[in-house]
Amino acid sequence: MDNAIHVPTAQWRRRAVELVRSKWDATHLGPIAVSLLIVAAVTALLFVAGPLLDLDHAAFGYLIPVIIAATRWGATPAIVSGLAGLAASAFFFYPPIYDIRVYNPAHVADLILFVVVAVVTGQLANKVREHVKAARQREEEMKALYFFSRRLAVASSPADIHAAIQDHVSAITGCRVALFAAGMAHSPPEASPQWSHMPGEIQRAILDIFHGRSNGREAPLLDRKTGASWLIRTLSQRNALVGIQAIELGSVSRQSIDAIRRRVDTALAEATATLERIDVAHAIGEARVRSEAETLREALIGSVSHELRTPLASILGSTSVLSQASGVAQDARLSSLVDVIRDETERLSNDIQNLLDASRISSAGVQAHLAWTEPSDIVNAALARLQRRLEAHHIDPRLAGDLPLVRVDAVLVEQALSQIIDNAAKYSPPGTTIAIDARAVDATVEIAVTDEGPGLTADEQTRLFQRFYRGPRHQAAVKGSGLGLWIARAFVVASGGHLEATSKGAGRGATVTIHLPAPTPAQVDALESSDA
Amino acid sequence: MRRPALVVLVIDDEVRIRRFLRAGFELEAFIVQEAATGAEGIRAATLKPVDLVIVDLELPDMDGAEIVERLRSWSKVPIIVLSVRASEEEKVRLLELGADDYVVKPFGMAELLARARAALRRQAPGHQADPVVRAGSLTVDLAARTVSVDGRPIGLSPKEYRLLQVLAQHAGNVVTHLHLLREVWGSAHSDDAHYLRIFVRKLRQKIEKDPTQPRILTTELGVGYRLSIDGG
Repeated sequence: MDNAIHVPTAQWRRRAVELVRSKWDATHLGPIAVSLLIVAAVTALLFVAGPLLDLDHAAFGYLIPVIIAATRWGATPAIVSGLAGLAASAFFFYPPIYDIRVYNPAHVADLILFVVVAVVTGQLANKVREHVKAARQREEEMKALYFFSRRLAVASSPADIHAAIQDHVSAITGCRVALFAAGMAHSPPEASPQWSHMPGEIQRAILDIFHGRSNGREAPLLDRKTGASWLIRTLSQRNALVGIQAIELGSVSRQSIDAIRRRVDTALAEATATLERIDVAHAIGEARVRSEAETLREALIGSVSHELRTPLASILGSTSVLSQASGVAQDARLSSLVDVIRDETERLSNDIQNLLDASRISSAGVQAHLAWTEPSDIVNAALARLQRRLEAHHIDPRLAGDLPLVRVDAVLVEQALSQIIDNAAKYSPPGTTIAIDARAVDATVEIAVTDEGPGLTADEQTRLFQRFYRGPRHQAAVKGSGLGLWIARAFVVASGGHLEATSKGAGRGATVTIHLPAPTPAQVDALESSDA
Repeated sequence: MRRPALVVLVIDDEVRIRRFLRAGFELEAFIVQEAATGAEGIRAATLKPVDLVIVDLELPDMDGAEIVERLRSWSKVPIIVLSVRASEEEKVRLLELGADDYVVKPFGMAELLARARAALRRQAPGHQADPVVRAGSLTVDLAARTVSVDGRPIGLSPKEYRLLQVLAQHAGNVVTHLHLLREVWGSAHSDDAHYLRIFVRKLRQKIEKDPTQPRILTTELGVGYRLSIDGG
């Protein structure tokens, strides 16, 4: 304010009025009223106790309200209590009593001394209060900053980082904040979901900065429609624009805007410093690399699947043509050779499909497309798929005729059931029976596959659905990857069902049961309407 | 009656797949044309009339859907798609765009030939003249609107008959759930999949020997239904 001397008087007056106005904030009224009550209480106390104690320097009793007001509510209530104390002591305690005037020079000196002491203690107390307040705010900000750095450290995408910055500035300033990513690799701010909430003028200012037509504005912008003020601030790192922030201050007076603006700028400076420290550009890059690596993995799996499946499809197709050719079809030895090629290729093709499924489950999870399905369709599709591999066994499907429809991903459940039946056929001796029971139990449909194989020990029963688990009793005798039942369980769970394995013990067969959700008609209606 | 040899156009980028398809079709007295890319395939189809198109879903230059769409814009030639497992949505999309059927890789020649023959039968000239569709023990007379099992007429409700009629019109080929819902219940009911399940069950109880193990009205999980003309 060193240029204040040159300011004309009218401007001074306006400033003084503004200052008083800003001090006479409505929030002061409560504390002032309480301060005056304390002054009144002290007056009453002194009035009663005065004659008993023969108080000469009654004015100093009023230091109590002054200190209380200064420590608790700040300067204004302290000044008010000081003035009230001065008036009260002059009126009640210094002769002439019940008269505001004071004649005795000693009393006048007393009152002057009171004013000096009141001002000094008031100021000291106020300063202590400000310190406490600042320390508390600092602590809050440190907490926010710490939280902010932690969020930045675990951010897994550029969007996470931007959200963290936005939330941080919003927490520090208490204002609504919208952050628009800037820089070459980012989509324009119009693409942001927050864009439509911005007033037209603010949108123009953001676009100017985004397209490099302006460097950002210092002064707040006013939205004429709502009367709300907005601040536009840029966020940059190593001289590169990282983001543009629009901060809604609401409809507040110019003084409050200045205060909030200082707070916003401080918060932004802190945020920028933190960003520099963790190197946000690098972090954004890392996040992008992570997501690209995931995409690459998917692409690799896709291409490997294509590369492996195409030759297998050629082999299988060729054998199917060969087996029809007259020279082969009529020669039992030749056609049995073709059958070997076909069966082994089919097995290989299944193994590759299992690997692909397993990798799909662990990388992306399984997306289930739930639809109403006839349970017997699932069983029949699985049996049709496995037809040739079940030739050595006696298959006994026992499907109840009036099963309720299930709401599942039929394709996933069929694959799961195929795995389970295939497993049963692999582990139980040729000539034995594999029974497939489908029945309704409460609001579920159970499909149970029971074999007459080696059964399950207690240990096998608990570990059956684990990835790569293979029963130690069969590892040498039966080929397999240990993926089948793990995949089956993932597919069934994705459809909202679950799997269960039971056995009467080693050597006494095993039953694997798929439980599928079959909502009742009332639930059906609810589901249908929720789908709409 | 000996018809002139049918021409099949195979569009697949894999030379080994084309080779076995050529062998398989030539064994059945088809004339085989090959194309390695989608663009080449569409050119071949426009230059010379073909009777059947086999198209791979994954071509390097063109999406399978695009080929089906472009062929369908001027031709009613039967189209069979070679697809991979776990792409039910893609299959449904191609069928909705006008493909007649699909087989899933790896597939046997017999399966592909069965699908192809069914599609060819529907497109063949004179097909309109024979309104009787036979599937196992089932006979559907589309002209007289009668249905019989083992020679004995059976009664169907109007919706049941409509459902069977649509399937019989595509006998041997898959019909998508959406197509059936639209044809039987109208486009407003295209989301009411459970109606379809319930009517299929009713229909099976009337036409199948064992409704829990259907041989005639079979299910393509996640895609649709098929009236299996080569079924038992």
